[in-house]
Amino acid sequence: MFEDPVANLGLVFIFIGLAVLTANKLKFSSIPLLILLGIFFGPHAPGYGWLDLRLINVSESIELLSRLGALFLLFHLGLEFSAGKVVENGVIILKGGSIYVGLNFIRGLALGWVFFGSVPEMLVMAGITTVSSSAIITRLLMELKRTANPETELILGIMVFEDIFMALYLSFLSGYLLFQKAAFSSVFLSSLAVMIFVFFLLLGARRLSVYLNRLLSIHSGEVFTVLAFALILLAAFLADVLHVTEAAGALLLGLVLAETLHAKRLIQIFAPLRDLFGGVFFLSFGMNIDYHQFAAVSGIAVMMTFATIAGNLLAGYLSARACGYRGPAAANIACTIIARGEFSVVVAGLAATAGMVGIMQPFAALYVLLLALASPVLAKRARKIYTAAVYFWNKLSGIKQILGNFNAGKE
Amino acid sequence: MSLIKEAELPGLGKKYQIELESSDRLVVVIYDEGHRELYHFPSGESEPAFSFTLTDQESRQVGSVIGGAFYQPRMLEKLELAIAELRIEWLKVAPGAKVVGKSIGELGLRKNHGVTVIAIIEEDSKGKKKATAINPGPGFVFLPGQVVVCAGKLGNVERFQEIVTREED
Repeated sequence: MFEDPVANLGLVFIFIGLAVLTANKLKFSSIPLLILLGIFFGPHAPGYGWLDLRLINVSESIELLSRLGALFLLFHLGLEFSAGKVVENGVIILKGGSIYVGLNFIRGLALGWVFFGSVPEMLVMAGITTVSSSAIITRLLMELKRTANPETELILGIMVFEDIFMALYLSFLSGYLLFQKAAFSSVFLSSLAVMIFVFFLLLGARRLSVYLNRLLSIHSGEVFTVLAFALILLAAFLADVLHVTEAAGALLLGLVLAETLHAKRLIQIFAPLRDLFGGVFFLSFGMNIDYHQFAAVSGIAVMMTFATIAGNLLAGYLSARACGYRGPAAANIACTIIARGEFSVVVAGLAATAGMVGIMQPFAALYVLLLALASPVLAKRARKIYTAAVYFWNKLSGIKQILGNFNAGKE
Repeated sequence: MSLIKEAELPGLGKKYQIELESSDRLVVVIYDEGHRELYHFPSGESEPAFSFTLTDQESRQVGSVIGGAFYQPRMLEKLELAIAELRIEWLKVAPGAKVVGKSIGELGLRKNHGVTVIAIIEEDSKGKKKATAINPGPGFVFLPGQVVVCAGKLGNVERFQEIVTREED
């Protein structure tokens, strides 16, 4: 390990570069690789005698860059996956998204309660497992050449819905977790109040955009960039004052600014920053994880992975049917929205700041890694899964028919 | 005209779906990163039969080839191009039309009609291209048989079409 901050930072970026390069070669998202490298070369890495893999540590500067990375990541997500983009198909997306997210959320809550039996853990568990990773899924869609398919519009629409859901849920959850010590009902109510405030802020985004347009109509690139960055930090700070995680503040700012005329310019400016520091965020999440703890959570993680896949296939299929997609297209939808990523990591990080250290972070890491392995396999075989499902369905109805005939024969 | 359906793909870019006369579908995805992908869906299929990827530069070149910047087939009269509000039209000047013998400046095309003449193509009797005046000045006089390439809003171009192609009585 290097004491010198620049050397440490240099090494961190060598690992990020390695992950990004490999991911690019494999045509897959870099998120799971970054977490993995963080685990195996961070401060908790194995080290025996001369073979010491503890190469990088989470210094103060890395911590700061990782926080900035989370802010850029969520700000960018808010800009890209905003409600304004899907206004034309609003009703369909509302329908599909609420079925998909609703079912997944209930599954998360239910299993969280079964495994932990306490409210905060249950809420964190639901937060980690409900929302899928748009970064991984958009990469997957591009890789499988499905971007032009009709059902892709619904898949990306569900991503938008999840984004808005997460802005609301994060603002509720962080208030709740950070204030746990106080009386349950008052915390619950104040968190609910914050969530309702956020909801109306999102509803009023269009109206706000008139003022924001004026504020941001700056020709100079320098002034514009600095102002936008200051706005992100301000949003993070204000969120903190309201006892909401700064990540939710940045996400919310992104969602609001997406309605302005400057959304495209903001995306162009902040995409490289997200690329740079988002990597630090995922790597340092991995670095904070002690892989020895995997043993304790592996059972839950594996069960949760299977539950997520099964639940997702069902929820995806139902929401696809509700939106008018049939057959293979519905199977594509169900098999594609499987991967979890950035939001799971954000929620696990939030749990850590609330003092819930030890279980949630290794669980989230293992869960994201397992689903990252499973999701491309499932998405690629959507057609086969569909034919198999149809085959079994026909078999099942065949058996029913035989049973029916048999019963009829007896009478 | 075929129907073009536009859809936003959040996080990726934009999608344009064109229903072709053959009832196949051509889908163009323009990624925010700059490259384009073209997909061909045979009629009734929900999975693309094939696709290819073009860089930003290549797609601009291909776009101008398809748009006829280098070579245009015959039968230009009926060709119309609609890009949102913009309409580009190839009009053949009729022998007895109102504009015959008048110059662009005299008619005040830009001011009075909201139409800009991009080019004038003169053909000889065999339909072969004789001369092309690109961006002609205000002194240019319209003569029967010329093909006027003009651009403007849909309504304006239609009104201009009236006085170029209809015989005055």
